[in-house]
Amino acid sequence: MRFVIHRLALFVVALFGLSIVIFAALRILPGDVASVMAGVNASPARVAQLREQLGLNRSLVEQYGDWMGALVRGDFGTSILTGRSVTALVASRAAITFPLIIVGLLIALAIGLPLGCAAVLARSARVRALFHMMSIIGGAIPALWGGLLLILLFGRGVGLIGILPSQGFPLDGWAMPGRALLSLVLPALSVGIIVGASIMRYTRAALGGFADSGYVDMARSCGMTRTQAVLRVGLRLATPQLVSVIGLTFASMITGVMVIENLFALPGIGNGLVTDVGNRDLIAVQSELFLLAAFFLGIGLIVDVLHRVLDPRMKTATSLSEVSQ
Amino acid sequence: MSQDNGAQDNGAHAGSGATGANGTESTTAATTDASLAARAKNPKKNGPKWWLISLIAVIAAIAVVVGVTFAFSANDEGQTDTSGASGAKYADSVTVGLKLAPTNLDIRTTAGSALDQVLIGNVYEGIVARDSKNQVAPAIASSWEESKDGLTYTFHLNKNMTFSNGDKLDAEDVAWSINELIAKQYHDAEALAAVIKVEAKDADTVVMTLKTPNSNLLWTLTGRAGLVFDKDAKYDLKTQAIGSGPYTVSKFVENSSITLKANEKYWGNNKAKTPTVVINYLADDNAAVNALKSGDVQVLAPITETLAEPFASDPDKYTVKAGNGTDKYVLAFNNASGSKLADKRIRQAIRYAINHKEIIASRGGADKALGGPIPSLDPGYEDLTGLYPYDQAKAKSLMAEAGYSTDKPLELSLTYANIYGTELGDQLRSQLKPIGIDLKVNVVEFSTWLQDVYTNHDFDISLVDHNESHDFYSWADPTYYFGYDNKDVQKLYNEGVAATSDKERDAKFAEAAKLISEDAPADWLFNYRVTTATAKGVEGFPFDLNQTVMPLYDVTYTK
Repeated sequence: MRFVIHRLALFVVALFGLSIVIFAALRILPGDVASVMAGVNASPARVAQLREQLGLNRSLVEQYGDWMGALVRGDFGTSILTGRSVTALVASRAAITFPLIIVGLLIALAIGLPLGCAAVLARSARVRALFHMMSIIGGAIPALWGGLLLILLFGRGVGLIGILPSQGFPLDGWAMPGRALLSLVLPALSVGIIVGASIMRYTRAALGGFADSGYVDMARSCGMTRTQAVLRVGLRLATPQLVSVIGLTFASMITGVMVIENLFALPGIGNGLVTDVGNRDLIAVQSELFLLAAFFLGIGLIVDVLHRVLDPRMKTATSLSEVSQ
Repeated sequence: MSQDNGAQDNGAHAGSGATGANGTESTTAATTDASLAARAKNPKKNGPKWWLISLIAVIAAIAVVVGVTFAFSANDEGQTDTSGASGAKYADSVTVGLKLAPTNLDIRTTAGSALDQVLIGNVYEGIVARDSKNQVAPAIASSWEESKDGLTYTFHLNKNMTFSNGDKLDAEDVAWSINELIAKQYHDAEALAAVIKVEAKDADTVVMTLKTPNSNLLWTLTGRAGLVFDKDAKYDLKTQAIGSGPYTVSKFVENSSITLKANEKYWGNNKAKTPTVVINYLADDNAAVNALKSGDVQVLAPITETLAEPFASDPDKYTVKAGNGTDKYVLAFNNASGSKLADKRIRQAIRYAINHKEIIASRGGADKALGGPIPSLDPGYEDLTGLYPYDQAKAKSLMAEAGYSTDKPLELSLTYANIYGTELGDQLRSQLKPIGIDLKVNVVEFSTWLQDVYTNHDFDISLVDHNESHDFYSWADPTYYFGYDNKDVQKLYNEGVAATSDKERDAKFAEAAKLISEDAPADWLFNYRVTTATAKGVEGFPFDLNQTVMPLYDVTYTK
């Protein structure tokens, strides 16, 4: 319990520090939303007037204070350009990105975990080399190219076996779950294959380490076959490591799938963030980044807690060193 | 290390008996002797091959996913088929793919032609409108008169007009909208600087009084300056739009899509033929092409010439056509006095050194050469391409006069926004190299361009697509970013604006444009002509000017 409280306190401090970094970094960017709104035919007077209206000519400390004050009250502000609350903006984008990365991660796990285990269990050197190559090739596929290939294979109207929609998200959103899910299949598959390859590599490395360790030898001495020992004992031991990797992969996928979102014309979080930065809609960008940072830290926190739940040895340092010997 | 293990492993099963191994294992494995441990890896010689099983599982999982999708997509097609069958002659909905998305719907304060394109004439209507030849046409006003001195305009409005919310539209709304624009200095208010007041004389007459004659006034009113809003409606302009046009905005997803539904209360002749028009914004060119191929969109505008090739070569299924427009790709030089380009010889040398034909050909050949600041659809156009023909020798000698050569090149920077791609910068760099100019190309974000070039005038050469029509005034404004200050041009421009006849205005503008082009304050790379691709069965989509004026009421799609 003390551990959790300690971690929560760190979480808050980290968020506060991040808010300053985010705020300052965005103010270094050249250009502002007023000149974007005014466009290329506006007089300097018009830009100045807009800047005044939008409160962009106030001191930075004042602007930061306003932002933080609102954040503390749970108000993430309103995007200057779209006039919608940042919460609503992020929610509508997250409704696309989160299902995409969850499905993508499930596909990645379905590919990566079994293949990773298989790579360790395989007895023939040639088969192992084959798995090794698969993981390297999978990890080396550029997301854009992989996505394009999938479109060329399965994209409706474009592909060889054109069965899946490859463009956009249904306008009604999740009101028609079938179609919404369908539009995510190809993007999720492109993400899943690439992330799957990296999960496969992690699994292979983590499990491979334990397969040669005394734990597995011990299990086998108690009568398990090698396969049984690796899967029951080794995998159990590798789980904490894998959970960390999967958690962090999940978090980094939120913005990492941006290329895929762009390719499949999905208005998700990464895509939206880039547009907002391009338009210098800083109030929106800073709150979006803040939410992302909070999410990232949150995942880290959950992973840490899970670690302790999954690995009882972490509770006391002495027993850990005992076991490692 | 692990490979070693595997090899031993294999050897082990080949030799050892399956049953006896179990017994020895329990005793040997307690020691940490790896080679002994490896001996009894698998008790059964032909035991299950786990890697094979996993592989099969993965393949099975993929097969299930594919199968489920098949089922779903079959369902889907079934649905669309029935809806298609129930429709009469035309499809109920048409999807149009465009490129640059608006961030909000607030046409009063947010710049960008993306808003003009989708809202003007479709959702909002102006007191007057613009036709496909860029001429003024009746809209809310059915006719108008101009006094002899050019200072009073009287507009006669149509009768029985309504907004989409049911409110009546009369002279009060018209006068209020324009007065509000001037008072609150909304976007484009500068264009109405000459207006003293706008009054509703009676329910269907509006009188506009000017300080000085303005030959551009009517055309200005076809754009944002003349839009008519509902005086009594209260709504958030950023997310909603209440106008009097044939369509209403039923759904808007910023940076992504707009769904237009036919306005049931529409009063005029341009009644929507297709009940639903969906605008999809596709930022990625490949995504856009795939969307057209797969039938997710029926219209794509713009599409680059090179990407349009497969569609153009399939005329049974697609129509590909380039339309006229007022997009000017302006390679503007920094004309301010301290600039490296203040030397006219260098500016002229650049103009001679640029091979416009080659640039246009590399883009597919649809664009038109443009020798001066005025494009063919704007008043005062004259073909000025003969002033600076491609002549590398002349360019070299001008550079030599200015003191530069390939051995001692002049370093210049070219700054432009990343939306125009990197090819143009590369082409220009290689075309200017032989005459002794070392061009550093900076491709930046649009907002960075706005800050550095547009606001701070911190650049040598800039490249922008000035797509606005009637923007000739920028050459008469020495504070504009290119800093071009020529008193003769300013005088001619002002005389042209004050002219009371179109002929007089055109003559003055043409004269000024020629002066400007001779002075070489910029090079006009080409007049970009937007290429549009439509699927077979689409009728009535405008090809000309469709990036600024895109009337959709006439668009139909027959499957």
